[in-house]
Amino acid sequence: MKSLIIGETSNGTISSGTLELISKITQEGLDFKLITIGSDENPKIGSDTFKNTYMKLNQNELSLASVANEISNIIKSESINLVLASSTYVGRDIAGFVSVDLNASPISNVVNFKIDGDNLSTTNSIDGGESDYLTNVTSEVKVLIIRPKSFEASEIELNNNYETVSIEKNNLSVAVQDIFIEEKTGPQLEDSKIVISAGRGMVDVENLKFIEELANKLNAAIGGTRAIVDAGWMPYSQQVGQTGKTVKPDVYIACGISGATQHQVGMKDSKFIIAINKDEEAPIFQIADLGVVGDTLSIIPKLIDSL
Amino acid sequence: MKIAVCAKQIPDPAIAVTYENGTIIRPDEQVLDDTDRYGIEVALQLKEKFDAEVTVISMGKLGTQKGIQQALQMGADKALVIEDESLKNSNSLMTSNVLSEIAKLAQADIVIFGTESSDGYSGVVPQQVSRYLDLPCISYVKGIEINDETLLTRQTITGSEKVVMPSQCVISVTASGVEPRYPNFKDIMAAKSKVVEQVDISSINLTAEQNQEFIEIKSISNDKSGEKHIDEGEAFNLIIEKLKEIKAI
Repeated sequence: MKSLIIGETSNGTISSGTLELISKITQEGLDFKLITIGSDENPKIGSDTFKNTYMKLNQNELSLASVANEISNIIKSESINLVLASSTYVGRDIAGFVSVDLNASPISNVVNFKIDGDNLSTTNSIDGGESDYLTNVTSEVKVLIIRPKSFEASEIELNNNYETVSIEKNNLSVAVQDIFIEEKTGPQLEDSKIVISAGRGMVDVENLKFIEELANKLNAAIGGTRAIVDAGWMPYSQQVGQTGKTVKPDVYIACGISGATQHQVGMKDSKFIIAINKDEEAPIFQIADLGVVGDTLSIIPKLIDSL
Repeated sequence: MKIAVCAKQIPDPAIAVTYENGTIIRPDEQVLDDTDRYGIEVALQLKEKFDAEVTVISMGKLGTQKGIQQALQMGADKALVIEDESLKNSNSLMTSNVLSEIAKLAQADIVIFGTESSDGYSGVVPQQVSRYLDLPCISYVKGIEINDETLLTRQTITGSEKVVMPSQCVISVTASGVEPRYPNFKDIMAAKSKVVEQVDISSINLTAEQNQEFIEIKSISNDKSGEKHIDEGEAFNLIIEKLKEIKAI
């Protein structure tokens, strides 16, 4: 199977999601071509073992439709039949655009796939990770959108050996007026060893200060459920779950989270899960290694004081 | 200005989804997907400013049409819907193919979606529709400011960016940033007389095809049966001991 990985840059190098795809495809023994999308100047994304084309965006233009044109042309001219993208903002946009050009519906939320000759089967995680949904993909070109953290990222030595294509705007481009970079301080959700997440059980946005204090003491990243992100207590970038981020820290501390399946999808594979919730029947306790039934607002301050 | 806004009817999200041969079993009464309320809110804010016509577009089992009514109750003007046996278990490409054809029938300048449905969550339909319609796509919108020009704030991996909304485009709206309105009694009554028109499959140019063969659903036991303790004031010590035991602190 001739494959193409749609990658992204992050902080001047290849994003962790892209590295996960590279390691999986290498494990499968497939040759691949990498296209990396980003706006960084001279990122370190090259390699002597695979070919990488850097599609450099002008950050003042929203031009992913142009990028998709280039990628669709490459897929057609090089007869590529397996396309992998990460389930990120950019990955989903590109996979969506390209799938129309190729008349090949993408398979979303893939957590694993198996290749057997020309056949490819995919696994999707459903019911908050309680079931695997298995299918064969029958289109000639198979476009897979992979959930982050599905595969272990491999260590790759990177250099400046790659080709750069500057993306020109086209009739579908939109001018960007302002760019806001969210100042991220402290550990990041995706790569922190400890994640502390808050849910409705924190009762009031004011009480998130306890979560922040505890996170400081434990050098942990902070996450939240969709409910509290919708309520405006936390930015969307901190949402853990189906529509947010997937995390797999060593320790996940769920504070006042009932554990809806949509949330579990984003955290159930954490190595050790601690849950604090008033409701003894809360589904979060089914996946917790240590469950404490009690008032989060009284337990967390005590934890902070004794750390 | 004409706006088409997508509304998906989904099984009550409080009840676990069930499957038959890999296809979600849909009861007669389905509700409006909450994630669509954000897109509908954006459509209605544009309607108020530009006197736009807002058409709800929807595909799938119609049943009691409760979800369609809920979208109309928020303030949309009418609905264009399609249900056909051949569209059952459509993949994202078939769905976006059909919805873009319906958006054309609604003569929409602006087509608005949530970012992904709560039952299928493929998360690519807005992007695909923009491609079918050859329109700019502004995905992951989390804020709108309507003045002389309309500014959309979209979520990015590093923060956000602001773009001027083109006169014709496809938008996907995230579940934050706008506050969906609640209909009052008058809105609920008014929705009953709004037109819900059914589109026949023969008027749709469907080129996308099914490309997945269902194999099976395997259940995995997630039950860790970990320790569970009732807090009587000292449970915080258990947490600290455990964190030490696993060398997290």
